[in-house]
Amino acid sequence: MEVELRYFGTVREAVGESTERRSVEAGTTVGSVLSDLEEEHSGLEGLLLEDGGVAGGVTVLRNGTHVTHFEGVETVLEGDDRLSITPPVTGG
Amino acid sequence: MANELPSVYGGEALRIHLGDGATETEAIDPGDARRFLGGNGFAAKQIAEHVPPEADPLGPENVLAMAVGPMNGTPFQSTSRGVLGFVSPMTNGFFDSTFGGTLPRAQKTTGFEVITLHGAAEELSYVYIDGDGAEIKPAGDLAGLDTYETCEAIREAEGEGYDTHVLAIGPAGENEVRFACSLHDSEIREGVAGRGGNGAVLGSKNVKAIAVSEGSFEPEPEGDLRGRAVQQMGRLMEDTEMLQEYGTAGLVNPINEMGKLGQRNMQTEQTDPENAEAVSGETLKTEYVTEDTTCANCAVKCGKHVTVESEGITDAKIPEFESLFGTATLQEVYEIERVIAANDLCDRLGMDTISWGVTVAFARECSEKGLLSEESPHLSFGDADGLVELAEKTAHREGVGDRIAEGSFRMAESLEAEAEKYLYGAKGLEFAAHSARGLKGMSIGYATGTRGGSHHDTRPTLQYDGNHDETTEGTPEFAARSQHFTALGDSLTQCRFVSEGGWGPRINENYTEAINLATGWDLSVEEVERIGERVYNLERLINVSRGVADREADTLPHRVMNEPISEGPAEGMYCPPEELESMLDEYYAARGWNDNGHPTTDTVERLDIEDVAETV
Ligand code: SF4
Repeated sequence: MEVELRYFGTVREAVGESTERRSVEAGTTVGSVLSDLEEEHSGLEGLLLEDGGVAGGVTVLRNGTHVTHFEGVETVLEGDDRLSITPPVTGG
Repeated sequence: MANELPSVYGGEALRIHLGDGATETEAIDPGDARRFLGGNGFAAKQIAEHVPPEADPLGPENVLAMAVGPMNGTPFQSTSRGVLGFVSPMTNGFFDSTFGGTLPRAQKTTGFEVITLHGAAEELSYVYIDGDGAEIKPAGDLAGLDTYETCEAIREAEGEGYDTHVLAIGPAGENEVRFACSLHDSEIREGVAGRGGNGAVLGSKNVKAIAVSEGSFEPEPEGDLRGRAVQQMGRLMEDTEMLQEYGTAGLVNPINEMGKLGQRNMQTEQTDPENAEAVSGETLKTEYVTEDTTCANCAVKCGKHVTVESEGITDAKIPEFESLFGTATLQEVYEIERVIAANDLCDRLGMDTISWGVTVAFARECSEKGLLSEESPHLSFGDADGLVELAEKTAHREGVGDRIAEGSFRMAESLEAEAEKYLYGAKGLEFAAHSARGLKGMSIGYATGTRGGSHHDTRPTLQYDGNHDETTEGTPEFAARSQHFTALGDSLTQCRFVSEGGWGPRINENYTEAINLATGWDLSVEEVERIGERVYNLERLINVSRGVADREADTLPHRVMNEPISEGPAEGMYCPPEELESMLDEYYAARGWNDNGHPTTDTVERLDIEDVAETV
């Protein structure tokens, strides 16, 4: 199945793309996508995951809803899900 | 109570009578320093003591206080902001609005921790302050100049270049546009005291600007805080990377993704990703940012300048996130170059982009629904030219601009009853960008905010991390404690952007240790939180005495309580009246206020503010 990944701010700079569609196997979790991204992009190493969860302040949304309202990193993705990833933002 | 004033305090309050130019000084009571800390706390105490409850916010009895904090000028970064305290012509209650730049740092060196303006000048004037006191100088020839021009003209008149630190109003303040703001054009970053109508208060006092020259006072921390400050700095730089790169505009895309970014006067809360992208921090950075700018004593440099050739704009201040909400998404205008032009114009004319933007969006909806009699070719949603034209009209109170200049709540009063349904604000002040429907903490936080629709009473930051955004459980207490956090931060005159990132979004050991190192006190975390709670209660007491704070006033607008978000990820979210009532019960109980939302005698005693409470 395919999912859409959307990157914002400094995460976008590290990945070099604003969006991408990626094929993942059924049963893929949010955590495994984040872990793959950390491995693929040196600029993201250690930034997305922390102590077995999403790193503090990093906003990961599944179809617009914060993954803490699902199962956090254990959330299982479904086909055509949209995962948006934003680094810690303060201000506003 | 401590009986010696810590050496980080300059030691005096300066009172300026604008009518005859007389000045008085008063020593800062060491006990007051420990109770109210500085900045917001000092300003609230001055307003409580000197403004009669029935005073007209735009009359001479109102007072404008300008205060700095105890860590200003110490090695702790980003603690050198200034606070303007006054009774707001928008809310008729206490208001404090903060600003950056270099003026607050210069004020600290004058030794005057808080400077108050009383009465009104007979003719348009500017107030010049240095370590020796103050002088009222004529400014008739500055009438009609914009904020930047005024700052420059005064710098030229004083002959010291940027060593004269100027905060000025524009035509909007002179014309008493109720949400007029003031702007400080410093050498390294603009500072805008944006909200609550402080520019209108200055205008009503015939004060075109405040100019400060440095004195000789240097604050000396009681403890050796250098090591701690360096340690703090490391975290701070790490945690504010987005702010350093994109300024606050970095919030546009993620909040639109959540479906909590108001569009079309809040008829919806999400736009197509392409539209959000067009007005996002990412686009601004790639296409328009020319340089970073910063306040005194801050390495984060969140400020940016932008250049837009098509609009003839060179190195203007970047629109902040809240301004992009007010002037772009809420208007359904995604032409970023026109949006930048409108923002630059608002800065020059001296108008709060949030209140102005929300009021214009309200006017557009009233026009759409046939409730507005004025003909204006530019009142349809999506009309980008309207932004620029309506900004000029508002500042000069021409045509429909004269109505907009009163703010959305007063404008609604002059229209058919149906117009009230389209308001978006509380207690007379328009809401900022953080959704009153989509964030439960903001629902109760806005309803109980002493400033009305401000996002600097209860903060949204933790809510975007999934805390108290979708549940009411524990949310009233969360909102109250966030209000302590902001009142404490504004009394420390610490930049919120930085404190939330590098120090923590709740009152904690970091703040306590820093205050103790700076002042030599030995406060516990609980005592530090009490300071925030004390200041917040004092503000509430001022508002109670003015008849603008009770259960009836602690409410939300019709749309927030009756129209769920219609689509997107946050579809179905709102705050129905019964939910608000139940949160208010819990909030009042947590605060020690009675059922009508008034602090009880026990609470006033517990917070050690009986003496000030008597004066309001
Ligand atoms: S983070 Fe920005 S607003 Fe805050 S003190 Fe630094 S430059 Fe000023």
